[in-house]
Amino acid sequence: MEHANTAVREILIPISIIIVAAILIARRRSLFIRRIQGLTAIDEAIGRATEMGRPMVCLTGLSSGIDINALQALSIITYIIRSSARFGARAICPVSDPQMLAVTEEAVRDAYTEAGRPELYNREDIRFLSNRQFAFAAAVAGVIWRERAAACFLFGYYYAESLIIAETGQQVGAIQVAGTPTTTQIPFFIAACDYVIIGDEFYAASAYLSREPTLLGSLVGQDICKGILLLLVLIGITLSTVAPVLGSLFRQFLMKS
Amino acid sequence: MFRPVNGYLWYIYILGALIASVLAFALMQLVPPRARRYVILALTFIGGLYYALEFFLPVHPMPAPDDPTRVGNFLTQFLLPIGNITPVIGGFAVGLGVVNLSQVHGKRLLRNGLSAFESLAFFLSMIAMCAVNILQQAHPNAINKNLNALLYNGGLQQLDATMFSIIAFYIVSAAYRAFRIRSLEATLLLVTAVLVMLGQIGVGQWITHLAPRTGFFSFLRVEVLRDWILKVPNAAAVRAIAFGLGIGALAIALRIWLGLERGSYFDSQG
Repeated sequence: MEHANTAVREILIPISIIIVAAILIARRRSLFIRRIQGLTAIDEAIGRATEMGRPMVCLTGLSSGIDINALQALSIITYIIRSSARFGARAICPVSDPQMLAVTEEAVRDAYTEAGRPELYNREDIRFLSNRQFAFAAAVAGVIWRERAAACFLFGYYYAESLIIAETGQQVGAIQVAGTPTTTQIPFFIAACDYVIIGDEFYAASAYLSREPTLLGSLVGQDICKGILLLLVLIGITLSTVAPVLGSLFRQFLMKS
Repeated sequence: MFRPVNGYLWYIYILGALIASVLAFALMQLVPPRARRYVILALTFIGGLYYALEFFLPVHPMPAPDDPTRVGNFLTQFLLPIGNITPVIGGFAVGLGVVNLSQVHGKRLLRNGLSAFESLAFFLSMIAMCAVNILQQAHPNAINKNLNALLYNGGLQQLDATMFSIIAFYIVSAAYRAFRIRSLEATLLLVTAVLVMLGQIGVGQWITHLAPRTGFFSFLRVEVLRDWILKVPNAAAVRAIAFGLGIGALAIALRIWLGLERGSYFDSQG
């Protein structure tokens, strides 16, 4: 088990305080959030699936168990289902973890109920396929092919199977929106999907979609923290660049005096 | 901290754990949904607080027989027993996946439609795999071991490898679309990709082998360019994304830990 060293304590604790403070401030003030193209495309994809009368395939990734990436992906997926329920579009949610199956069933049922269309909830559309990476990829590819998906939403944590799933969606002509915190899989999604949410935009998605003050505040806090880290990096670069020069000047000054 | 037990004590412990679990579930069902939320929030906060304190509190040497260099604080000794709670909770969900699969495929099989054959294959594979594995565990003789190896190593592993190898073909089709010159960005991507690919292969390195190995003009060598692309602009971009991801993950963890998370399966602020 790793433990915090002095640098981690000095950076992580103030960052945490800033994020929590921004959340508390945001509950009293309205905040602006810039447009994220990939998330705006979600409505376009839902519209397309509705027009074509074909289902959407929504994935929450291959996280092992229930972690923040899976929960964040599920948060986006439930928004998609709430929006699509108004038009009666069908959403198929394959899952790769038995624990996520129970949580996804509950969240999807709630999403249909909140949208006022509880009758659209079909338990068979929330499918546990396999917790083996490539067995899951093969099964998802099969679902996309057989159901001729009109839209694919690929959110959450992915490994090498990302390209198999995204390329299958591309082959059936589905409009695809992807978002992952896995930096190694982002290039594959960019190559195969229509819209990709990169980096921390994935974590900003729930704030962008729900416009909940708490989530918006958290987002502002994150941006402030990124600014501070950027400043620290710049100070570090400047100091390490000028330190040798200043050091030699200082030595010369000492020798002269 | 906790020592393994044997004999009748083991049965008593298992029975006690089962009764405690059933009672906990029953109590949670009796509690009104609003109050249940506070119970969950309190448990989440206590769990998060333990791990935060264990991580942040100063450490001192705590040598263990298997790890003489181990360090920790007074909370470190509870890491293993508390960490064991996660697989125990996960254990409750193990059967859910199999039940869900059986329901979906059972209905298809009964409907006898187009996909009935796939559903039959699923049931046959699952039963065969379970039966052979249980046989191998119960009677580990040569026949059972070989049967298990045939199904697992000869079947499942090879199917996994087949799916993995398919990625090579998908990479080609994805690369074809990504490298089409449609915009300035796509052109830059194509040029960069060609340079990196040439730098990776012998033929590419041979093309620029006349350029000097050292000095200013060494950048004309394709492998030098490849290293620069990977170590400078690429690494900088990946680190920038990693910074954002790290802070984003921290923000979500804080929201969940402190019960501030909103939306979807959490409370809405309206």
